[in-house]
Amino acid sequence: MNILFVSKLSQFARSVFPITKYVEIGKQLGHQVSLYGEQTNEPPTLPYSLDTKMFDAAIFIVYESWDFPDMPYLAQLLDGIPRERRFIIDCCGRYNDTLRVEHDFNHLEKMDGHQGWEWVEGFEAVSNTILQPTQKPLRNGVRSFLWHAFDPASVVKPYATEQEAVQSWSSSDRDTKPYAMTYVGHNWQRWTQIRKLLEGVQPLSADFGPIVFAGSDWEKRPDWAAQLGIQGVDVDPELFALARVQLRPPIPFQEMIGFLSQGRFCPVIQRPLFNELGFVTNRMFATFCGDTIPLLMLPRNLVASIYGPSAEPLRVDEDVKGHISQILRNPAPYWKAVLDTRKYLAEHHSFQRRFQQLLGIVEGKA
Amino acid sequence: MRILFVIDKRMNAGSIQAVASYVSAADRTGHTVAVYGSPDSSLSEVRFSMDAHQFDFVVFILESQLSWLSGLRVARILKAVPHERRVVLDADGLYNDVVSVEDYDRNHSGIAERNRWREACERLGSRIFQPTLTPLDPRIKPLLFYGYTPEEETRAKDPRGKVIDVVHVSHNWWRWKELEEHFFPVLDRMRERIGEICFLGLWWDGCPPWAAELGLEEAFQVDRARLKSLRITVRPPVPFTQVISAMSSGKVNIMTQRPLFQRLGIITSKYFEIMCADTIPLVLIGPQLAESVYGPAGRDLTLNGQVEQRLLAALESPEQFQGAVQRVRQHLRAHHSYQTRVQQLVTALET
Repeated sequence: MNILFVSKLSQFARSVFPITKYVEIGKQLGHQVSLYGEQTNEPPTLPYSLDTKMFDAAIFIVYESWDFPDMPYLAQLLDGIPRERRFIIDCCGRYNDTLRVEHDFNHLEKMDGHQGWEWVEGFEAVSNTILQPTQKPLRNGVRSFLWHAFDPASVVKPYATEQEAVQSWSSSDRDTKPYAMTYVGHNWQRWTQIRKLLEGVQPLSADFGPIVFAGSDWEKRPDWAAQLGIQGVDVDPELFALARVQLRPPIPFQEMIGFLSQGRFCPVIQRPLFNELGFVTNRMFATFCGDTIPLLMLPRNLVASIYGPSAEPLRVDEDVKGHISQILRNPAPYWKAVLDTRKYLAEHHSFQRRFQQLLGIVEGKA
Repeated sequence: MRILFVIDKRMNAGSIQAVASYVSAADRTGHTVAVYGSPDSSLSEVRFSMDAHQFDFVVFILESQLSWLSGLRVARILKAVPHERRVVLDADGLYNDVVSVEDYDRNHSGIAERNRWREACERLGSRIFQPTLTPLDPRIKPLLFYGYTPEEETRAKDPRGKVIDVVHVSHNWWRWKELEEHFFPVLDRMRERIGEICFLGLWWDGCPPWAAELGLEEAFQVDRARLKSLRITVRPPVPFTQVISAMSSGKVNIMTQRPLFQRLGIITSKYFEIMCADTIPLVLIGPQLAESVYGPAGRDLTLNGQVEQRLLAALESPEQFQGAVQRVRQHLRAHHSYQTRVQQLVTALET
């Protein structure tokens, strides 16, 4: 089958990693997967095509309105591939009624110029199959397709046992693991949880080590957020200093797992909207590829339903400090949880499996 | 007829003033005009609608870029309205072949860009209109989209009460060369005889940071030292509702037009706004074009080849120009009102 993905790629955000994996795995399985557009030399090197006639299906991966192609390409696409063979993966829950969760939202006209109805009707104009990366879509007619997945081949250190993992993790020197904690992500609708994390970490002893954030808009509350009155994009430089947080610019996706592995811990934090909708993201899977212990700051039911029963010890309740202290004192059970969860993810959430699920949807068999 | 405009809502540029005028003129002539979108409190005089399928025609008003056309909206409109009931107003003449004027102003950087634009127009609409009397391409239909609003004619006040001598309301977009060739040398010679000169618009204080990435630095060329030495005051742009009053603050207004538009004969809203203002309007366009739009009296208000004489005369003996201004206004009321424009648009769409 020939599949055409439609999305705007950025090396620093969104679905660039899954798209590269679907292209790779599609090829391995004898399919052709390309991106819609003119061939570009920008990394990652992926096949692009504008020849809509060559493709059996177009899969739109939508986060923002600009994930739809500009004119005339959008019209070429809509004219070239019939509606029943066009699919939308709605990665931000746009195809819902307007929702507010804490400061987070799925529609806000002053951010992107579109009201809720435009998202809904715009999606419906493109396709009658809307997929969302959640096991329980809210809206009638929306189908579940998790899209994001786990890549066992990307695991930095595939330890055989927790003892091996603990030994490596505990003896890592400052050159290989210079940070106590790493976080990769932009400052967007995660401040409540980041604050809770840093307030928990800050009382730990100085031996805990520095924390590093790689992403945009952590230096200060961005001007655009202040101008538009957008909450949930805050920073607290004093707290950052107390928790010894160092800031780095955004890093490209190819370096993400290596970067995560420079820290002993790595939090998995999601936007409040995504927690509410039960959405999964690339971060939820990629963090388990790093040589680090994930701190799952996610709803209990989401942890259980995605990661399986072994992941529960990795979930952080209210007591962040106590959770981390416990791991530092006795890391083996936690590493066992990491290794068991990796196995679970490889079995249930591999890209191979996802690709087959996607084929099933496209072919009308799923 | 029910007509829906799809437009980039820029408050200080583009076609928003024209669209607001179409809405009210259509109401007076038994038609309905609306703008695609939900109601906007900053545009209370404009009717908005999201129901594209309820209109007889959709008119996409395209200016210099397409990026504002959200895919969400386009997909919805393309699905709701058949191709034969969609048309494009190619306001900046980008549907033409690549046109470069004196290796300076141009409509496209190359063939590929031109092809993309053409295809976008053709897929959006079944017919392409341009606001010119003389389209270069036979596939383009002439449609003088912008018009005159007699109700906005401003009554003359005593010019001695005005503190600004010369006003130029325009963004610095492909304007510098023309000013440097025709206007600034005159100012060099006679600056002491003119009071305050004020440019209102964007980019007179410098090239925007994104221009280089788009290869458009030349379009925003500006020499701040030159402006300073000529004692030209630069002020920010005004919203479309204040253009005529801003023009009326000057004893004289000059209207410049980018060379590409002159070559293509494109008629913009400025042609008409300047004639509503309480000022002596002097236009830096050829006499033939001036006559074709303004009538015979338009020739008396052109600056071409006689910037110095006309500018000084307008400042020192404004009464000499009052007759020409009145005759031009009369001509515009008769031939270029928005009520006329609505009829012309309806006829063009029906044809």
